[in-house]
Amino acid sequence: MEQSALLSIENLTVRYGKDTALQIESPIIIEEGDRVGIIGSNGAGKSTLIKSILGLVHYEGSIHTRLQMEQIATHMQFNEYTDAMPTKHIMEAILQTKISRSQKLRDLIDYFEFGDCLRKKYSRLSGGQRQRFTIIMVMMQDAPLTFYDEVTSGLDFETRQKLVEKLASWYQDRDSSLCIVSHYYEELEQLADKLLILDKGHVIDYGQKEDLFRKYCGRAVIVLNNSTENEQLFWSYEKLASPAHLIALPCETEEKEKELTALLLAHNKNYTRSSTDIEMIYANAKKAFLERQGKECEL
Amino acid sequence: MMLYELRNITGNPFVHIFGIGMPLFMAVFITRTAVSEMTDAAMVKNVSTSIFLGIGALIPMATVLMGYAVLHAQELEKGIPERLRLFGIKNYVTICNRALSELIFLSVAFALYFLTGILFMDLEAPVFSGFILYVICIACFSAICFAIGHAIAALAKRFSVTYCITMLVYFACMMLGGMMGISYENMPSVLQAAAKLLPVTYFSRDFFTIWTGETYNFISMIQAYLFFGAVAGILLFAAIRKNT
Repeated sequence: MEQSALLSIENLTVRYGKDTALQIESPIIIEEGDRVGIIGSNGAGKSTLIKSILGLVHYEGSIHTRLQMEQIATHMQFNEYTDAMPTKHIMEAILQTKISRSQKLRDLIDYFEFGDCLRKKYSRLSGGQRQRFTIIMVMMQDAPLTFYDEVTSGLDFETRQKLVEKLASWYQDRDSSLCIVSHYYEELEQLADKLLILDKGHVIDYGQKEDLFRKYCGRAVIVLNNSTENEQLFWSYEKLASPAHLIALPCETEEKEKELTALLLAHNKNYTRSSTDIEMIYANAKKAFLERQGKECEL
Repeated sequence: MMLYELRNITGNPFVHIFGIGMPLFMAVFITRTAVSEMTDAAMVKNVSTSIFLGIGALIPMATVLMGYAVLHAQELEKGIPERLRLFGIKNYVTICNRALSELIFLSVAFALYFLTGILFMDLEAPVFSGFILYVICIACFSAICFAIGHAIAALAKRFSVTYCITMLVYFACMMLGGMMGISYENMPSVLQAAAKLLPVTYFSRDFFTIWTGETYNFISMIQAYLFFGAVAGILLFAAIRKNT
């Protein structure tokens, strides 16, 4: 294992009964300072991967880390606490410090605007407040490696955005490595540098976001809504795999991009241009993966 | 974490009702009813003290066997121990803190129970050895209840199932222990055989003899503790096996 590697996974297999939930053959190495977004549809094995790293499920294969379990902080998909006391007491007991004695904890409580919730019991908190409660305690651990498993699931758009902005801003100047499982690609645009793409328990690809984009989508991509008019306008152009409601046009060269944008402007069409779009990376990586297996891709 | 566990226990209204309120009410109410027509002062003391010592065994059954089991099952169902483990709090630390918190709660409950007994009941004063033996027996009984409660919760892993099982055990013990109106002597021989295996029977039937320092043959009582302890051991073993 390399010196900077925090975690390495090789030949990992997790089975639930007769079903294989996760099978990783090629090594996955998470290095210091990595911000890894773990993506894939439901049942891809994202949470199973985290649970196997944390030793919560039985697995075969090797997971090596130089970290102690106490040095890995985790925000699970579902986090529950006792309802017998206000959250303040739970927080102080778990973190083994008084809020009044820890400036860092007070800063985190202020940062996540949780002060008013300290007297409430956990069941009385809203979805967003519950997530922030765990996040504060996870961040207080200041661990070299932190997992966030669907940290914004169940939250409304505004709360989700606000929470992700706060997370991104908090970790901006920090060295901690993060592994973030999410179905919301726009969150990972802000939080992740690397992507681990999973599908039905298999690794489609793992690498730097930009490298994966170049590998599967090229230099840049132009995305517009899939309408009959747009379909007719670009029928002769090469297209990338994309969700059914979108058309994705690759721009391999600057000239090609100019040609496409000129056509879009001439027809007054709305479009977006990206060179890191995670949704496009996922769609095209999955397509390539399925083609390698001789299957058809349905997005 | 000790304070957390103590708050966790006291935050459960069930243990206050069944662990403190009910034994206090039952001890005062049953005693007054039982001695209301008695004229012999010595007999009043004898009956009052026997009932008081017997009902005292309900405190660990309600707070530890039922209260702890239900609390633990509820937490297992919600995944709280796993969540705490991810924060670096090890299971054995949680269990130790919980056992100590239960001990503190039991001590307070018994202090209140004895205070009520002294103030409102005509109790026979114990000999020193009688009192110490009562404390030791209650402590052993509580420890066994803790192990059984832990094992039931770890095996069932569900609040509803655990609640149902511990409630059945609780009422079975009360009934066989002679606290539900039928004394040991009036039970059919099959029930007597079952009652003899329960420590709770000895609290209500025999402890007055020990309390007053009279000669007592401890063999049956020790056998009951060993049997109850063995049941706890088997259940714990099954729970550990299931969870590893």
